[in-house]
Amino acid sequence: MRSLRRETAAAWILVLPFVVLFLAFTAGPVLGSFGMSFTDIKQRDLRTPFAVEGVGLDNYVKALSDETFRKAAFNTAYFVVVGVPLTLAVALAAAVLLDRGIKRFQALFKVGYYLPVVTSIVAIAVIWRFVLAPDAGLLNTVLGWFGIDGPNWLASKTWAMPSLIAMAVWRNFGSAMIIFLAGLQGIPATVEEAGQIDGAGPWQRFRYLIVPLLRPTILFTSVTTGIGYLQFFEEPLVMTQGGPLNSTLSVSMYTYQQFGFGNYGLATSMAYILFVVIAVITFIQFRLLREK
Amino acid sequence: MITQSTRGRLVTGGAVLTAAALALSGCGRSEESPESAPQASTSIGSDPATGNLTVWAMGTEGENLPKLTKEFEAANPGTKVTVTPIPWDAAHNKFTTAITAQSLPDAAMVGTTWMGEFADLGALDPTPAGIDTSSFFPGALDTTKVKDVGYGVPWYVETRVVYYRKDLAAKAGITTPPTDWDGLKAMAKAMQDKAGAKYGINLQPGGQGSWQSVMPFAWSAGANITSDDDKEFTLDTPEMQEGLKYYQSFFTEKIAGTDLPPNQTEAQFVSGQAPMFISGPWMAGSIAKLGGDKIKPNIGVFELPKNKTSTSFVGGSNFVVFKASKNKDGAWKLVKWLSDGKTQADWFKLSTDLPAVQAAWKDPSIANDPLLPVFGKQLETAKAPPAIVNWEQVATAFDTEVEKMAKAGQSPEETAKAIQTKASSIGTGS
Repeated sequence: MRSLRRETAAAWILVLPFVVLFLAFTAGPVLGSFGMSFTDIKQRDLRTPFAVEGVGLDNYVKALSDETFRKAAFNTAYFVVVGVPLTLAVALAAAVLLDRGIKRFQALFKVGYYLPVVTSIVAIAVIWRFVLAPDAGLLNTVLGWFGIDGPNWLASKTWAMPSLIAMAVWRNFGSAMIIFLAGLQGIPATVEEAGQIDGAGPWQRFRYLIVPLLRPTILFTSVTTGIGYLQFFEEPLVMTQGGPLNSTLSVSMYTYQQFGFGNYGLATSMAYILFVVIAVITFIQFRLLREK
Repeated sequence: MITQSTRGRLVTGGAVLTAAALALSGCGRSEESPESAPQASTSIGSDPATGNLTVWAMGTEGENLPKLTKEFEAANPGTKVTVTPIPWDAAHNKFTTAITAQSLPDAAMVGTTWMGEFADLGALDPTPAGIDTSSFFPGALDTTKVKDVGYGVPWYVETRVVYYRKDLAAKAGITTPPTDWDGLKAMAKAMQDKAGAKYGINLQPGGQGSWQSVMPFAWSAGANITSDDDKEFTLDTPEMQEGLKYYQSFFTEKIAGTDLPPNQTEAQFVSGQAPMFISGPWMAGSIAKLGGDKIKPNIGVFELPKNKTSTSFVGGSNFVVFKASKNKDGAWKLVKWLSDGKTQADWFKLSTDLPAVQAAWKDPSIANDPLLPVFGKQLETAKAPPAIVNWEQVATAFDTEVEKMAKAGQSPEETAKAIQTKASSIGTGS
């Protein structure tokens, strides 16, 4: 009994550094910011952060009734609903091709597809602006060969968001592809052979054997991609600044703007709204994709 | 599936948070006592400055300032001025952090639109009596005033005028620049019809900072951003609508376009695609850089055309002393020296920043320039937005509505109303 207590004490001492750091630098700020979201704290209160008024749920009500915030929420939903499935589909297709189709230069393709993930967003933005430029841009030049008069992609209310989604898919599918590839390589060849013997065609084997076996991988990639896309921020910041007419403004970016204006109470409430949405969506993903 | 224990934890967590929120709400703001206006606490003696001074300055000013302060050190033996250059995009954050942490320099260059905010945070030292404020352009001096108290001095200024291509204007049959609104539009139209321009004039169709292009027209029509006491916004007035209407008419009549790629004004000017635009003094240099010597003689500028008045926007930077400085006396002496006419002229030669002191414009390097005197004339009546705490936020809302007006055809009446509604809900912050 005594030795057990001593072990417990030793364990506490060993975890103490972590616990202290966690409380001071993770839990503390998180709880602090959560508390902030119920007050009217502004920039000028920073020197006396406790001398603020509690305003209950006012910030949340204000955020949810803000027309621009709702627009940003709609844009974020648009980005996620179209972007996540598209990214996963492209990633899975690339992974299957690399796993089954391309035997030579496989490493080269892997690096090529993964490169955008590790490239600086600023460099990517510069290139994509060239691609999407209205008159001499690569995309519109190519469309011109087929007699199509391409729009001014980033300046069009309709096309700015699809342009950003295309860019995000291109930029992000590499990470999901690598994980799918690992998942595919973990499926023994005998599974497919068995399917082949039972007379299943390639599509049937993919749909009824490979995809179910990939379920944990799909769950993982859809959760990580989903969380990343719900917080999407860099793309509009560097490409469109949220324009034209707020059609690419995301929740994260609007929250960031509110922080910039010094409205800390309102901004933290927006951040927590996003947090709750992310938690709920992740929960739903776990429910839908769990092992049956 | 929420298990029993999870639910238990959620309940406890919720209770803790509620308690924390209640505890926080218990703190409360201290009742704001009717403060008397801040008073200047320092007076400037005539003896030389002593001691060390630290100064923050942004961008190229931060890089060039040490060259100037060397002269100050020479004139005030025993003084050492350390200049820390700060990049513009990090500056605002650095200042607010430093104000919170009380780790400020003695003096600094600050953007004119930050004055309200910093004064509100109680960071700035009111200007003492020894500084001659009558020597500055009145519009620029206004940017240093928050609730009628002056903080610091205008250091350098810029204002917006109309740029045009002289050769293309001649082709369009225009020999003297227009002076009224109808004239400006007719000139832009002629550029399009006779001089082969795609758009007569390049106007910003919304987006960041477009209020700086719109407000001059509204001011010229007699509009004001706030009431005289800076307490209420007056953005939905007939004068404001008139300015917006005129601005929008360029887009509806296709004299200005919404489809030009942004930030390429210089290139569009040089190519003749859009041979007119409204901007500040730095553009002459960047056009010459892009178009070479050939374009230089063809750059023309004229004052904003008149409606009731010809009132442009005045920007630039101010120089302030912080309340927390331990060497306020030395810092104010530096400020006084910087706003001397001769120092200002020297600074122009070092930096090409336009002097805020009117006397410095008599210096031959400015007076004999082909373009600059027009800016000097425009500066005499130019205006700045009021130094209110929430101005940046109001300006963002303003830019959004201007974009709706230029691109989506929102009527000027609705635009004025929307700007007023948004601005009122943001509040002046005081």
